[in-house]
Amino acid sequence: MAVSTDELKGLYYYLNLVRQTDERCRRLFKQGRFHGTYFSAVGQEATVVGSCYGLRAEDVIGIQHRELGAVITKGMPLKYVMAELYARKDSPDRGKSHPCHYGWKPMGIITPASTIAAQTVIATGCALAFKIQRKDHVAVCFVGEGATSNGVWHEALNFAGVHRLACVFVVQNNLWAESVPARLGVPLDDVSERAKAYGFPGLTIDGNDVLLAYETTQEAVRRARRGEGPTLIEMKTYRWYGHSEIDPANYRTQEEVEYWKRRDPVPRFERLLMERGVIDESYKQATLQRIEREIEEAIDFAEKSPHPEPHEILEDVYAPLG
Amino acid sequence: MRTMETAKTPGAAVGTDVKTVTYIEAITDGLREEMERDERIFLIGEDIAAYGGVFKATKGLYERFGPMRVIDSPISENFLVQGAVGAAIAGLIPSPELQFDDFISLAVDGIVEHAAKMRYRSGGMFTCPMVIRCCYGGAVGGGLFHSQANQSWFMHCPGLVVVTPATPYDAKGLLKSAFRGQNPVLYYEHKRLYRTIKGAVPTHDYTVPLGKAAVVREGRHATVISYALMLHRSLEAAEKLAAEGIEVEVIDLRTLLPYDKETILRSVEKTARAVVVYESSKTMGVGAEIGAMIAEEGFSFLDAPVRRVSPPDAPQEPFAPVLAAAYLPDAARIAQAIRETVAY
Repeated sequence: MAVSTDELKGLYYYLNLVRQTDERCRRLFKQGRFHGTYFSAVGQEATVVGSCYGLRAEDVIGIQHRELGAVITKGMPLKYVMAELYARKDSPDRGKSHPCHYGWKPMGIITPASTIAAQTVIATGCALAFKIQRKDHVAVCFVGEGATSNGVWHEALNFAGVHRLACVFVVQNNLWAESVPARLGVPLDDVSERAKAYGFPGLTIDGNDVLLAYETTQEAVRRARRGEGPTLIEMKTYRWYGHSEIDPANYRTQEEVEYWKRRDPVPRFERLLMERGVIDESYKQATLQRIEREIEEAIDFAEKSPHPEPHEILEDVYAPLG
Repeated sequence: MRTMETAKTPGAAVGTDVKTVTYIEAITDGLREEMERDERIFLIGEDIAAYGGVFKATKGLYERFGPMRVIDSPISENFLVQGAVGAAIAGLIPSPELQFDDFISLAVDGIVEHAAKMRYRSGGMFTCPMVIRCCYGGAVGGGLFHSQANQSWFMHCPGLVVVTPATPYDAKGLLKSAFRGQNPVLYYEHKRLYRTIKGAVPTHDYTVPLGKAAVVREGRHATVISYALMLHRSLEAAEKLAAEGIEVEVIDLRTLLPYDKETILRSVEKTARAVVVYESSKTMGVGAEIGAMIAEEGFSFLDAPVRRVSPPDAPQEPFAPVLAAAYLPDAARIAQAIRETVAY
């Protein structure tokens, strides 16, 4: 299917919004404006923007800690993203969870825990419910290549394969599972080969090509909605910075980092749109100004939001026992 | 198997509007009735569909409700629970069955990190109404890996409701309450009780509240706090002691988390003596919490130390019959502990 001009502009907006928000969050953390830590995904934006753009509100996403771009593109308001990082009262989690553990029910963004690959299992459970309910919603499940070595990820993909659930499993292969290189985690060049074991297609694509990520995911989503089962999409990409802001990432060579920075997905897509005449310099400037304003408003919202009060520590432990 | 006395449960059915069923029949009936009442409920587990479950707890339900509501799962304990968390988020009320408590360690992430914490971690946005049924317990010759009783692990997990019934009446009533609430419930059913315990159950709809213990025998010399199989053995002990002039009050906890402090403290205030009888190794078991709570909140009531009666600190019930017999407390051991507590 041809991608419309509006879609191209939408992808451009989210790609830049996610990049600018991520870089800004890193600075905010370094400035001590919020505490704990921060997990940057700068460099990987095309994977999540491409795979979440165009999803419906009713579709769910199973995310981990590095999916800022997924939650923004899926439609979590930026002010709540920021309030989550600041652990304020207006955060959807009321300050209970953990940095970068975003969740937003109206858009099907499932608040994660920190155990790796678990959100894939939960989102697959949502897809089981969609099948029982005879709904054509889709579950998109995000992990890095490291999580594909976890047994629970296998259980989820196996079950999804058996029951042909409406799942799209997106593996962001960024070559490093925190400090462990992919060659020590996966005995394959392409993680997508794992899909053969579950009886559904596995694809490997360039994860720094947002248009390709979008088209590939949308095809998998359409397949899932038609009841034709899951797809595994491996998107090869790279995280520019450490696992979190307290990780200097000195396990990698500078050459490797520079190699991937030259493959930055943001200017790459911008060049394509300029060449095609979809956008021009003034459109770019207007977009960046809009984004700057939106980020400022979100930070302002978070910083003005009160801290939770001590008595709230026991709120939301239980629903009434009945 | 010997037949044990049916515990007298307050509110238990009397009169003509009742039928007598086994503990496992009460569970099967409870599942069927709840599934008829609410079409969001579905079951998923190993061997539970056409086969009816290894103990036949789901017998007939696949035929009645079909493959979309009674689902045979692969051997994937983690998926069973964690996938159920997802299905609950998506609007259904899942009931995963864990075949044996001995396999629950494979599902702990789903139970502890996800089911128990979903409401808290999402600020109340997401709830996780689900009933995890788990078969547990010794005294069936099951050996080290088919006899386990791991309730105390999960008593350390706020957000989770942990129940374990002793009677058919409570088995059905607690199951119904579990399905009608918004909390994740770990519903522990004791395999020794499945077919050894029969009792009267109303033919009409009823529930047993979560979080409430029951005084199942009144007495004034000592309070015994127990649940499930150990409750029946405690009642046997109480019966023996009655002949000796010792009147024992017996409390069935029914819900282990969050448990009913008030009923325990009210009884201990009356009897001044407490014995906790439970089915797991002694250290950090159910008795550790109940005993500590009584010491902390009811110290001035006590005329004797709180006594714990439990299996020894062996990992679980061993296989060899002689070793197995040395594991779970019997009525004689429980009675002796009560005698000593009363004589203190």
